[in-house]
Amino acid sequence: MATQSLRIVPSSFPEGAPSKSVKSTANSFGVHDTFRLGVRSINTELLPSHPLETRLDQWDQTQTNLKLTMERRIYGIHAPIRHLMERSIVSRVQRLPVLPSSNLALDILMGKDETIEFEDFLNDPESSTEPMDVHVSMEHRLGIKF
Amino acid sequence: MHWSYPKEGSILQTIRGKNVALEEQGLKLPSPTKTGTTIVGIVFKDGVVIGADTRATADQQVLDKNCFKIHYLAPNMNCCGAGTAADTKFTNDLVSSQLELHRLSTGRESRVVTALTLLKRILFKHQGNISAFLILGGYDVTGPKLYTIASQGNTDNVPFTTMGSGSLAAMSMLESRWKKDMERQEAIDLVKDALEAGVFNDLGSGGAVNIAIIEKGKTELKMEYSKPEREPKCRSYKFARGSTAVLNSSTVTVAEGDAMDTS
Repeated sequence: MATQSLRIVPSSFPEGAPSKSVKSTANSFGVHDTFRLGVRSINTELLPSHPLETRLDQWDQTQTNLKLTMERRIYGIHAPIRHLMERSIVSRVQRLPVLPSSNLALDILMGKDETIEFEDFLNDPESSTEPMDVHVSMEHRLGIKF
Repeated sequence: MHWSYPKEGSILQTIRGKNVALEEQGLKLPSPTKTGTTIVGIVFKDGVVIGADTRATADQQVLDKNCFKIHYLAPNMNCCGAGTAADTKFTNDLVSSQLELHRLSTGRESRVVTALTLLKRILFKHQGNISAFLILGGYDVTGPKLYTIASQGNTDNVPFTTMGSGSLAAMSMLESRWKKDMERQEAIDLVKDALEAGVFNDLGSGGAVNIAIIEKGKTELKMEYSKPEREPKCRSYKFARGSTAVLNSSTVTVAEGDAMDTS
């Protein structure tokens, strides 16, 4: 997405050819981590997904981008930088990675503290039965996959 | 915003991939289920009257004979839904909760345009994949307001409107009888007659007629305002006693065992 785009909704056609990298799922040997993530299927990763998927994925990002671009044009570059800095600061205050954090301060900054949307009650990580590995989560979070 | 374990290929993507592959091999995937409804809304002198039938269908089957299609949004607002019952209900519930939180925060009565904007935003975001066709009626500081919202997110501000498969029948009543500044009872009767036109002439609509009257400071719900009966059939299809001849008969007497305890 162009940084200074004034797009209101995400593009229906994702930019560029679809590409996938092994990096995101690689283990310490640099190959796909089958033990932890299951067998990899390039087919399902590259086939056209549901037309709505990219739209919903990029929805918040596009709207934020629009807001930041407008701020930049009206007040200058300092406004979006300050805004992003505030977000970055409050999003650091979290519990251990496997424990759900409410992130209320971030919600307030993003104007989401007084709304209830699908992600607030459907597939809520708090009610997940999936076993979470503290060590793996921490490695991912700090970017240390030795 | 929660941090969770990264996953390659979401479940949605995987199922979609499987469906695309199966379709290429010639499997016929199920088509969207046909839905049917009649919902109506009109503006009268001091408020808004909205109403709905009560039949819920899935293709040819009637699944619910008493489905409540007038959803609560706010004390001064109600919203009728046509389309997929679950979609209309969930969309309205989401907006209803947001309006309640907004009222608690601002301490003011919700405006109808606020609900309209929230509804159309959700629907536009999902590009018609949420099958909700709504009639939103309410009374706020700006007076009586009536809107119609289609599943793609487009909206209209109208004095009278109808939605659903029975809308063609209902619209004929509205177009011939609606006029500006109607009296309250006159308006209720028109909505009832429009809904009955849908109930009788559209197979997807039926059951009873529910009506909500929204005026300044009060909302009145009339459940089962009318329960239209079909005109009796011209001929009787009941067979007279003795139409089927008895060829033989036998009587079995149970001799052993205790009688079953039915107390």
